[in-house]
Amino acid sequence: MKRRMFLLTGLGAAGTLVVGWALLPPRSRLGRADLMPAGGGEVGLNGWIQIARDGGVRLAMHRSEMGQGVHTALAMLAAEELDVPLARVQLVQAGHDALYGNVASFVDQLPFHPREREAGAETRTVKTAQWVVSKLARELGINVTGGSSSVADAWEPLRWAAATARAQLVGAASLRWRLPVEDLVVEGGVVSHPSGPSSHYGELAKAAAATPPGDVSVKEPSRWRLVGKPAPRIDVGPKVDGSARFGIDVRLPGQLFAVVRHSPVLGGGPGRMNVDAALRRPGVERVVRLPSYAGSAPAVAVVGRTVWHALQGADALDVEWRAPPGVAPDSARIARALEQAAREAAQREGGFAFYRRGDWPRAVQSAARTIEAVYRAPYLAHATMEPMCCTAQVERGRVAVWAATQVPGLARAVAAQAAGVPQAQVTLHVTYLGGGFGRRLEVDVVGQAVRVALETAGRPVQLVWPREEDLGHDFYRPAGAAVMRAAIDARGDVVGLGITSAGDAVTPRWMERTLPALTVPLDTPDKAVADGLFDLPYAIPHERIAHVATKSGVPVGYWRSVGHSHNAFFSESFVDELAHALKQDPVAFRLSLLKEHSPRHAAVLQLAADKAGWGRPLPPGRARGVALHESFGSIVAQVAEVSLAGGRPKVHRVVCAADVGTVVNPQIVAQQMESGIVFGLSAALYGRIDIVGGVVQQTNFPAYRLAGMADSPAIETHLVPSARKPSGVGEPGTPPIAPAVGNALFALTGQRRRELPL
Amino acid sequence: MPAMDLVLNGQPRTLPDADIDPRMPLLWALRDVLNLTGTKFGCGVNACGACTVHVDGQPMRACVTPLSAVAGKSVRTIEGLGSPGRPHALQKAWIAHQVPQCGYCQSGMLMAAAALLARNARPSDADIDAAITNLCRCGTYPRIRAAIHAAARELREPAASRAHAPARAAGPPKP
Repeated sequence: MKRRMFLLTGLGAAGTLVVGWALLPPRSRLGRADLMPAGGGEVGLNGWIQIARDGGVRLAMHRSEMGQGVHTALAMLAAEELDVPLARVQLVQAGHDALYGNVASFVDQLPFHPREREAGAETRTVKTAQWVVSKLARELGINVTGGSSSVADAWEPLRWAAATARAQLVGAASLRWRLPVEDLVVEGGVVSHPSGPSSHYGELAKAAAATPPGDVSVKEPSRWRLVGKPAPRIDVGPKVDGSARFGIDVRLPGQLFAVVRHSPVLGGGPGRMNVDAALRRPGVERVVRLPSYAGSAPAVAVVGRTVWHALQGADALDVEWRAPPGVAPDSARIARALEQAAREAAQREGGFAFYRRGDWPRAVQSAARTIEAVYRAPYLAHATMEPMCCTAQVERGRVAVWAATQVPGLARAVAAQAAGVPQAQVTLHVTYLGGGFGRRLEVDVVGQAVRVALETAGRPVQLVWPREEDLGHDFYRPAGAAVMRAAIDARGDVVGLGITSAGDAVTPRWMERTLPALTVPLDTPDKAVADGLFDLPYAIPHERIAHVATKSGVPVGYWRSVGHSHNAFFSESFVDELAHALKQDPVAFRLSLLKEHSPRHAAVLQLAADKAGWGRPLPPGRARGVALHESFGSIVAQVAEVSLAGGRPKVHRVVCAADVGTVVNPQIVAQQMESGIVFGLSAALYGRIDIVGGVVQQTNFPAYRLAGMADSPAIETHLVPSARKPSGVGEPGTPPIAPAVGNALFALTGQRRRELPL
Repeated sequence: MPAMDLVLNGQPRTLPDADIDPRMPLLWALRDVLNLTGTKFGCGVNACGACTVHVDGQPMRACVTPLSAVAGKSVRTIEGLGSPGRPHALQKAWIAHQVPQCGYCQSGMLMAAAALLARNARPSDADIDAAITNLCRCGTYPRIRAAIHAAARELREPAASRAHAPARAAGPPKP
């Protein structure tokens, strides 16, 4: 999306700059107090913070909790600056103001090499582009929970908002007691003076709202009480007693249930349909044809008294499915086409070069030796444990929607479109998400649910996708292929790296179905699919990293870590190949390519190697593999210990080291590394979506296998201390595990695996 | 089929006949008729375990258990595993080990683990691998394993166990 934003920026920058944006401090994201609803005597101090009568803090929560711990992390930031215990922070769903848009995720998508955007070392081009995109993102205010960006994005504005609120509260006490601010103490949300006066925030809030904050500063790290410590997650209680409300758990008076059926062939839709048999089934209320919403295929929904009744009706449907226009996609054919496209582009230096350094063609010509390998990855489904679902109610022109969504504003937009009402007529409730992983950046199911609710005479209806629909009609992680080439000089040094990958662009496809208003006619290069190839940390003097964007006809979308998810397998397996070809230890080889330019990467790799006992003997039949990868601003190294059991890889232990910048909650960071590793392990060991004649072959979990308890290794996470701004946590654990396991398998068997799954 | 009696989380319940089709899986009766939404739908084909409940103490996948199979029996769901005042040892261990992430699969995980501990007070890692075939997309397995071991210890020797900090699958990172 940000690529397009970049282009838009180019078109609109002149005009917008004339309007006179100034480079404002983070306090420009304070927001107006009336952005938060107040009904119970709360006093709003800005767009993020309200104070309740009892002195509790109410925090506008703009990001969606899908397991990544963002509710806890952001509440910690507010509690820290306000000096209240975490338990005193109550979350209130944020509204749709642009204040709550995600700026960091847009800026992250600018196609600059990490070295070019290193803070303090940016060129003017980088700085200008970042500034313009951040301003544009700020104006658009698109609320996205994704791109591992929530803490990075909230880091300044949320802390400043909380610190400003605190300053107003303390200022109010100072005025009331006529005592200097510097002499007042705040402890647990109570402001006091050693001479006796004491008031909790609730008693000061009204006066604080009228008190200017004066000079505000956020805390120095040395004064943190919460940040950096392993606070328990605030969502764990309801998640162990069944009371947590996910999208599928919404229950309203008079509620109906609906299930969806899509054409078995991707892109097909319902043609002639006989609904008599379905309607004769007990408990079936009606059948609704669904047009396409936000990229969904046209479909049919069956409404019933319970999901089961709706399922019975769906089984009795008599539908002639229309074939999609054009040739039905076929994953085996696509895989061959991608490989051919990558090979041809590699031959003639084609594709879009995301990164160039030195003179790659000359490096190849003058090389003493070249090493070449071709890597492949399949389509993958998200398979969130909570299937796609959405609840909607349409009554007298007003629409209420309950959705487990990563994009509440875009969900509201599609709901309004489906109901034919202005967005202001739509109330959108965000529930807990039973997993997101990028699938809930899509709003197809929201449009479908609202369409069904238009037919139920004001009764709320919950639309549920059976698992077969979820796996068969996902927006898949695109398949990919890459030709990897290295040039080695006479001394045995790697002097050139050429990578030519091919695969479908993700961002333009997501934009055109989800944000059509911002779509431009021509695809611009999608950095998201080049991530993990063009941005490598190794000091290789000559590089050309290019990508060929294809259109394969399969719906594709963002999948946890996006391009990194397979590109890290390509790059880190190939780097391992180079180490072995040059008869060097894989850790030492990487370190030799990192030491001068990438000290952070070297430190992370060294930590993982040390903690894993790299080089120390293992029991017979076991081997270690290592991988190092940067994504979403964070650097992660993993060492996997692997054996073969009945010819299949068994991963026993994974040692993970990470530099994620400042750590807000080390417990959650460790959890996310574990999560990323197991998620990536499912893809490494089993993950593949096969499409034959347009029909997805994996229909449910027995066929789309996920790593289970018996597959799950022991995992240790070690964090490199850092004072940098926080960077991504939810996704960076995923990319390195596939190459770490593949590299261990090579160490074990001498056979190089160049295709996923292993 | 006339009205159906069962014991649900310790309380006798009668399902009105209007809602009852003997073929209806228990999962949908719990979720959509009785509004007990803690038991989750994940696959509908006995593959993921998100719908695990106990029927007469045995772990069952509610998505493939027809109502006819539970008539007159005792059904326990996550809502009845513990109570706010007296959480199950596993629920306490789940919190101590900070197991849940998205949390969607955890009801089923807890019910499967509770059934395991009810028949095996000292499960080995292999026992846990064999008994917990539920799926978790967030990858909470290492913490689930550690929490099951901790809860088993707690149930075997509450006092001794309380004296020690809970063990962890992955030590907390030391930045």
